[in-house]
Amino acid sequence: MSALAALLPWVLVLGIAWRWRPPQAATPSAWVLLIAFGVLGAGPLWFHVLAHSEPPGFDLWKPTVAYWTLAAIMLIVPPLGGGYPAKIILGNYFVLANREWRWINRGFGLFCILLGGLNLAAASQASYKEWEGFKWSCMVFLLTVVLFRMMFVWLPILAEVSIQLYRRATATYRYLSNRFSS
Amino acid sequence: MPSAERKPDHIAQLVWPGQRSELVTLAATGKSGGAGEIFSIEGMPGFVAKIYHATTSQAVLAKYRHKIQWMMDHKPALPQIPAEYHDIVQLAWPEALILRRSRFAGFAMRKITFERTLELDYLLNRRQAAQEGFDADYGKLLTVCFNLASVIQCLHEKHIAIVDLKPMNVKVHKAELYVSILDCDGFHIATEEFRHDAPQVTPEYVAPEFQDKVVMHPEAQDSFALATIIFRLLNYGIHPFTGVASDHGKYPLELAGRIKQGLYPYGKVAHKSVRKVPASVHEAFPDDLRQLFDRAFASSGHSRPSVREWVDALTIYASKRSGQISPCEKGHLRFSDRPCPTCLREALIAGAEVRRRSFVARVQAAPARTLKYVRRSLRQTHSSPFQAALAQAQLFTLRQLAPPPPISTRNAIALEILWIVGLLIAFWWAG
Repeated sequence: MSALAALLPWVLVLGIAWRWRPPQAATPSAWVLLIAFGVLGAGPLWFHVLAHSEPPGFDLWKPTVAYWTLAAIMLIVPPLGGGYPAKIILGNYFVLANREWRWINRGFGLFCILLGGLNLAAASQASYKEWEGFKWSCMVFLLTVVLFRMMFVWLPILAEVSIQLYRRATATYRYLSNRFSS
Repeated sequence: MPSAERKPDHIAQLVWPGQRSELVTLAATGKSGGAGEIFSIEGMPGFVAKIYHATTSQAVLAKYRHKIQWMMDHKPALPQIPAEYHDIVQLAWPEALILRRSRFAGFAMRKITFERTLELDYLLNRRQAAQEGFDADYGKLLTVCFNLASVIQCLHEKHIAIVDLKPMNVKVHKAELYVSILDCDGFHIATEEFRHDAPQVTPEYVAPEFQDKVVMHPEAQDSFALATIIFRLLNYGIHPFTGVASDHGKYPLELAGRIKQGLYPYGKVAHKSVRKVPASVHEAFPDDLRQLFDRAFASSGHSRPSVREWVDALTIYASKRSGQISPCEKGHLRFSDRPCPTCLREALIAGAEVRRRSFVARVQAAPARTLKYVRRSLRQTHSSPFQAALAQAQLFTLRQLAPPPPISTRNAIALEILWIVGLLIAFWWAG
């Protein structure tokens, strides 16, 4: 599969996202996250699509890089007045006070520092198999965030889409029935 | 049958009691069992021959011959039946030895007219019985039970037991309600001068004390099997050890296991770990029969009613003059002063059917009802104040939990696309 074919679906999806982007200006924390993930996203793009291989030992470092990058964003951006990145990760539909967001943000940041450190410790001390087990068990964190997002963000969107589709379907039905009955 | 005549194997010698013998020609009927095959006898339409399989060893054949000879000499006195029913055969009892090339091969017995009879098994299902031309009611069923018990009682008086007593081995005369018991050569005989065991059993009809064991007391086994058959006949085929377990982990899947553990749920005192089948009508049985059933199934065997007790108990129900069976308001026969079991059964089945139909209708109507509810919620046109309030509350709860995004749905989808791409990148780095 050529690099272009591999990139095409991503370009298409991101193109839709760009076309449907909100008219409101993004908060600084959103920009920081976008840039950080843009840079991080270059990793798989480079290693898998263009270079077709990873440097030896890089896989041991990867989780730490990801966790510490996230931790850095979460702990550095709020004091600089850039908002709370945790709000974007969890979903800004939760009505919480800034104080509560601040603590959630700090908690996330510290947790990411801990995970990154533990990953390094596991990679250097434990066997490769044990490290792999640790790495995948850390995915529970990611899974929890996904479940939160699904429950409180994706479901309302799905409900909204369903209602709109229903409205359109009934309108179409009415239009067609009027057309054929007259 | 010309082809049969040509085969020397189909020429047999009948030896009647008193050593009178005659040569006959046998013709295959196509009916075969575990021990032998049934042949018709040319020129003797009232008799059939059972010829043991060719694979039967000479030693076993010798035992059979001894047994058949004894049975021919000791025919039990059976319950009296009116003279006009002289052709009814209550027992397929051996009447003559059959020899082939001067060797014992089987025996001749009186023929049971299959056109006039149906298997007792069919009476366990009223619809099946009706298809066979038998309109079952409690009067007829009790008469069949009484007749069956009477025949077994006559055998027991001669120290003969059936052991493998089960509905498949019993034929019922549709019009006269007399019974015919098949496979008599498999009976257990234990007299002072002769003994022959009956190793064949059917686990669903074996008493708990003989499950996985040799039947040491064949009469007690017959009593248990008879009680089981009577219970099933009166309770629409429901086996006395069929139930609904409270603790599924310990409930045996097979009836034999339940019999062994005494899991009888139809007693006057409810069983603690098994419940009755909802369709059971045993509560419409009279107290004396229920006590007999409880003694037969709930006791450990020592107080099980004998066949004689069953005959005594059933006599009054089998007799029209006793007045113990009377029609209910709908004309079904039932035990006098007891609820009508037929009406009870119809109500139970109708109730189950109504519930099933109602459930299916609710399931089928669910999508339309949901759409209607959503439409009314959107238009705020709920006719019921309760539903209107519910819709308001739901909207409020939704807003509380996840207030609608201040952006359009497309904008929200765009943000979620970015979020998912970010998630995949994070997954690549962390995984």
